[in-house]
Amino acid sequence: MARNFRYFEKKRGHRRTGSRLLGSVGEAIFFAVMLVVGCAAIYFGIARLIIPEWRVNHEFVEHACKVVEKRVIDVPSEKGMLFQPVVKIDYEIQGVTYSPYTYDIHHTMLSTRDEAQAAIDRFTERQTYPCWYDPAKPSDAVLVRGHQWWIWPALLIPASFVVIGIGGLVFTILHWGKSLEHRAAVVRSVPTPELFDLPAAVNPKYPYTPDCSEITSSPGTRLAYRLPLAQSPGWTLLGLLVACLAWNGAVSVFVVMVIRSYLAGISDWPMMLFIVPFLVVGIALVIVFARLLRHTAGIGPTLVEISDHPLLPGHGYHLFLSQSGNLKLKSISVSLICEEEAVFRHGTNARSESREVFRQSLYSSTSSIIRPDEPLEAECDLPIPAEAMHSFRANHNQVQWKLIVHGKILGWQGFQRSFPVVVRPLPVDHVSGRTSP
Amino acid sequence: MNEPEIIIRLDEDGQIYSPGATLSGKYRIEAVEGASLQAVEVSVLWYSEGKGDEDLAVHEFWRKDADSGELGNPRRPDRFSTTLPLSPLSYDGQIVKIRWCVRVRVIFNRGRDLVAQRLFRLGNVPPVKPPILDA
Repeated sequence: MARNFRYFEKKRGHRRTGSRLLGSVGEAIFFAVMLVVGCAAIYFGIARLIIPEWRVNHEFVEHACKVVEKRVIDVPSEKGMLFQPVVKIDYEIQGVTYSPYTYDIHHTMLSTRDEAQAAIDRFTERQTYPCWYDPAKPSDAVLVRGHQWWIWPALLIPASFVVIGIGGLVFTILHWGKSLEHRAAVVRSVPTPELFDLPAAVNPKYPYTPDCSEITSSPGTRLAYRLPLAQSPGWTLLGLLVACLAWNGAVSVFVVMVIRSYLAGISDWPMMLFIVPFLVVGIALVIVFARLLRHTAGIGPTLVEISDHPLLPGHGYHLFLSQSGNLKLKSISVSLICEEEAVFRHGTNARSESREVFRQSLYSSTSSIIRPDEPLEAECDLPIPAEAMHSFRANHNQVQWKLIVHGKILGWQGFQRSFPVVVRPLPVDHVSGRTSP
Repeated sequence: MNEPEIIIRLDEDGQIYSPGATLSGKYRIEAVEGASLQAVEVSVLWYSEGKGDEDLAVHEFWRKDADSGELGNPRRPDRFSTTLPLSPLSYDGQIVKIRWCVRVRVIFNRGRDLVAQRLFRLGNVPPVKPPILDA
């Protein structure tokens, strides 16, 4: 079915259905403006700040001058009142006397009168000080030299505009007038550096299936490979510990202030009432952390080993499960699940949603006692359905397979641990052109 | 005058292709003056549908420009052929779907496009059954 594209149409994700020409022109204008603004800012920074400062330090000639007058000038600005220190000096060059109002080459303005006053208080009227004058224009002189360190990092801002502008313009020119498919073909033909590990580059033989090297990097003791955990409980613990320390550290400052006031005989009741809720949250964080620590340490590691990897649809494998710790289990089970995950933009936010589309119970046991020197060990079969979809990973959509170990503990919170696996498409029989079972 | 139309036909009139198999077919453009064309692009690609933002990847891409004299008579059928990749297979999940297609894009001198596509399946993964809800 053929259709004409419109200039303006509903946009979904990265799919662009409006006019390519208008889009490209818009992109080009945007990046050109960024480039011009960045170049102008850099020119201003170099011409008005860096070169004058360099000339003062390298080309201006040192001379003696007499301080005649000093004062602070109020300069209204958008940020409020600023204060400029100025000093009137007298000096004579080749018989000509100059009497400029000066301070430094940048005509520095300070945010408080006290700072400006302190700057001119370094000089005493009718005393002689060194000054530096411009040999090309002797009427220009400064009393203070030196470097403004902030100029260089400040130049990074317009420099980033220039880099983005140039990069964007090059990108726009390379893609000028190209269709969505043409752009995708260009992207495909460009070698991807490891830093930008795009899904297609993960496994060139099986595009858009995840790489298995991380999963097969650890050999097992009973079976071929020991599967890595999707997320170690240690990271959750560490995150909670950091949150606990940061929160309670901040709250403790206020607690110390209140205690000191109380010991000094000042009862600051509003402050005491103010910090109570923060203190309660801090104590709750400590309790949650302690419970999680006890939970993690008590349950012990869960090990899952597999007889082969990657997995193929219609094939059978073996699993070995080992659960350590010091606990009484109401039940423990192992399941194979397949989950779809989609990432989508909602306004300016990226959101994700996952949906379980397959679950198969592989092993389950009830009422087991696990002691530190006696882990629970079990083996079971792992059949992969013949019509299973392979693992798939693109930028916004995924199909992922994983083994889930779920335990229920007597008188305690249960646990769930996830071990990702990769299901690969069946290899192709090149003679018949069919997939071989 | 009739509206321009792109007609795409796949050999063997196939709907399901095995990974690694050869996909071939032909296309023709009807009711179009050759002089009004700037280029014709033919792509074999997959794209995603469903809840997530669209992913799209081109497996094979051909472009014929009028400037280089490659276009010829647009009404004459033009053939294409490619060896399909091993993945990703076509998939009809609950929130993720993967569609394969041959897409032909005709770019006119006026800067407007005419697009047509013919879907096919790569592999034979059956659709995911929707969850059974308890009454």
